Amino acid sequence: MLYSRAPGSLQLVWGWWLAGLIMYIPANIYPMLRTSTLGHETANTIIGGVFELMHHGDYGVALIVFLASVMIPVGKFIAIGYLAVSVRRASAMRLRARQHLYEVVEFIGRWSMLDVFVVAILSALVQFKFVANIHPGIAAVSFALSVAFTMLSAQSFDSRLIWDADEAAQE
Amino acid sequence: MTDTPPPADMEIVPARRSPWRNLSVVWLVPLAALVISLMIAWRSYSDRGALIHITFENAAGVTAGETQLRYRDVVIGVVEQVGFTSGLENVLVSARVDKDVATFLNESAQFWVVRPEVSTQGVSGLTTVLSGVYIEGAWDKKGGEALTEFAGLEQRPLVDVTDEGTRVTLRLSDGNTLPAGSPIFYRGIEVGRTEKPELDSTGTVVEMKAFIEAPHDRLLTSATRFWDTSGFKVSFGPGGLRLDVESFSALISGGVAFNTFFSGGQPVETGHVYDLYVAEEEARENAFSRASGASVTLSAIFSEGVTGLSAGAQLTYKGLRIGEVSTMSAFVDDQTSPPEVRQLVGLRVEPGLMGLPDDATLDDVLAFLEPAVENGLRVRLAKASLLTPSLVVELVEVPDAPAAEIDRDAEPFPLLPTTPSDLPDLNATMEGVMQRINGLKIEDLIAQATSMMASIEAIARDEKTRAAPEAIVGLVDDARAVVGSEALQALPGELQTVVDELRATVAKVNEQRLVERFVDMVDSAYESADTITAAAEQAPALIEDLRALTRKVSDLKAEDVVASADDLLQSLNALIDTDAARDLPATVNATLSEARTLLTKLSEGNAVENVNAALDSARQAAESLERATAELPQLSERLDGLVSRSEELLSAYGDRSEFNRETLSMLREVRSAARSLADLVRMLERNPNSILFGR
Repeated sequence: MLYSRAPGSLQLVWGWWLAGLIMYIPANIYPMLRTSTLGHETANTIIGGVFELMHHGDYGVALIVFLASVMIPVGKFIAIGYLAVSVRRASAMRLRARQHLYEVVEFIGRWSMLDVFVVAILSALVQFKFVANIHPGIAAVSFALSVAFTMLSAQSFDSRLIWDADEAAQE
Repeated sequence: MTDTPPPADMEIVPARRSPWRNLSVVWLVPLAALVISLMIAWRSYSDRGALIHITFENAAGVTAGETQLRYRDVVIGVVEQVGFTSGLENVLVSARVDKDVATFLNESAQFWVVRPEVSTQGVSGLTTVLSGVYIEGAWDKKGGEALTEFAGLEQRPLVDVTDEGTRVTLRLSDGNTLPAGSPIFYRGIEVGRTEKPELDSTGTVVEMKAFIEAPHDRLLTSATRFWDTSGFKVSFGPGGLRLDVESFSALISGGVAFNTFFSGGQPVETGHVYDLYVAEEEARENAFSRASGASVTLSAIFSEGVTGLSAGAQLTYKGLRIGEVSTMSAFVDDQTSPPEVRQLVGLRVEPGLMGLPDDATLDDVLAFLEPAVENGLRVRLAKASLLTPSLVVELVEVPDAPAAEIDRDAEPFPLLPTTPSDLPDLNATMEGVMQRINGLKIEDLIAQATSMMASIEAIARDEKTRAAPEAIVGLVDDARAVVGSEALQALPGELQTVVDELRATVAKVNEQRLVERFVDMVDSAYESADTITAAAEQAPALIEDLRALTRKVSDLKAEDVVASADDLLQSLNALIDTDAARDLPATVNATLSEARTLLTKLSEGNAVENVNAALDSARQAAESLERATAELPQLSERLDGLVSRSEELLSAYGDRSEFNRETLSMLREVRSAARSLADLVRMLERNPNSILFGR
């Protein structure tokens, strides 16, 4: 069967989007990293980690972490949500701009995995028994799922719907 | 053609599609995500554990989110928040405790902050140097109602609530010597710890909780005594110098020991109160004095001063402690004129210590004492020791005391008769010493010593004194001549010959008559041997004379020495000149010759038939002869001894001999003694106080 437009595309978008959003909540509440140094254990959430880095004066790293872990996922949720809503009703944004927005979202989505990679590499490398230990927290899994779901959500979006909406508006 | 009607307009109805049919499967994903999120949330919430609040006065090092809560060194929670109680009075630490553990936190739970600590009991909490402080908790395992509010301790409790054992209370007069945590020893083994000493509510007694670990708490009975072993103890007694140290920890920070000196105590419950004695001896004494508990009170009135007597002073009877002074008061005795103030002393007597039953009543004690008082038992003050002015009260038997009896009706207690004490007055004694020194006739003493030395010198210079040794040499020469005379020396050999011949002849001899004669002959030989022995017995007397002579010389009656020596020489000469001595060898010789002649005749004659019958008698006779012979060597030994002593004596009198030297040194010492005595007298005349206070 051939379809001119992917059937149920919007449903898929909203479905993954919602799943991503749900997983994004524990990703922010629970600790991302559990670091134990000389028998002394600390657990940091994403935001807590950002503040800790700022406290130590690593503003650059804090900014990167903040961008990758907070700004980009949140921006993605907003962008995908906006695009999905905009195909149903008239939008103030120009079509070409929306097409660009979609492309950016799809491109940038994978970079949100940066955090997860950092956690995975640190956990694997920093295993010095008593001296220092790093373990991933629940938030790491949640965050990875959240990013994966939003990427699927972005991919499920049929960009032609943007233009369909324009034609409908012209008729 | 037929017209076919046009087909009816087709009614096109769009297929009705259920909104659910369009529903994508993808919606399951957010649903699953939701479920997973909720599950994570629920689990972490349920795992979160209970929040408890502990108040501390000081929470140094406690950090929210980092400081751990531990039980037996296992982490059971983390401090979540550090704040203050209302009014900023205390630090309020809120901690999240594992759910499983939280149910055990009943009212027995104790929490304290573990910090590195170095004390005399050891080093603890070193791990906290690296990891930071943590909060340690302890509680019993009984469970029960779980609490969430606790008051934290400032330090690790000395006794873990989980430890089995018995807590008792020690009472002492001064809490200064024993810090909290002092070890408690039983026969040198540490079996418990003390807690911090605290004043009781009245402020008169220091009380201290002590904990004895199980199973050693079985050793505690109501008869147990505790004493302080702090520091070390040096004692000097018949066994020499002793240094007692219980343990290093006890040396530095004090300690307590206990023991049960006698049996019969009841097992004690937690909270039993013990007195803490200062030393083991005191505890031991009190073990006996406090054992009975029952006591009766008597009294005595002393007319003399009781300075130095205090309540608690010992009451002794024949040196044994039987009680103590309980009260002291004064009253005006208006039966005398003018009225006098007298001291009434209450005496607490413990019947058990007098050998009476423990539960003896006052009447029993009085019934026991009354006959004794009739026999002269009196109460008397005595000095506790030579060095201290403190007094004790003693019951003594005064042999010829004026009649007295116990006043049973006296108030407040029955009154025992007293006798004046013979307390020496120290001042009077010193005065007496001075008077005696003044009364010494030292001048006379020196004059006598001078004249004595003059006499000694005169004796030493006397010609006769010098002649004495020569005379003694002569004496010894004579004696040696006697001993060395050929006759005497030949004696044993000749006797041996006689015996040999006798033995040869005896085989032939068998006539009774001959043997009888032979026995007679042997008897006479035996008598002559007795004469020799008697002569020898005079030799010890001679030695005694010589000793007496030496003594006389040392007694400085030197005038008599020469005369005595002369007498001695004369008596010695007389002894040697006696016929008994001089004729001795000749007599023996003659006898033996006779015997030999007789035997020769016998052997020549035919009288050997009866010898066999008389053989036993002959053998006895021979044995007697042998005995007599055996005494001869003794004689020569004694004579030899005499000679050697004489020689010693002579050598002692020789020029530059020991005698001379000793005499001279004695003279020198006497002279220097006299000089010292003169110095002493002079010094005492100048400054009589010096004998008391030194120079």
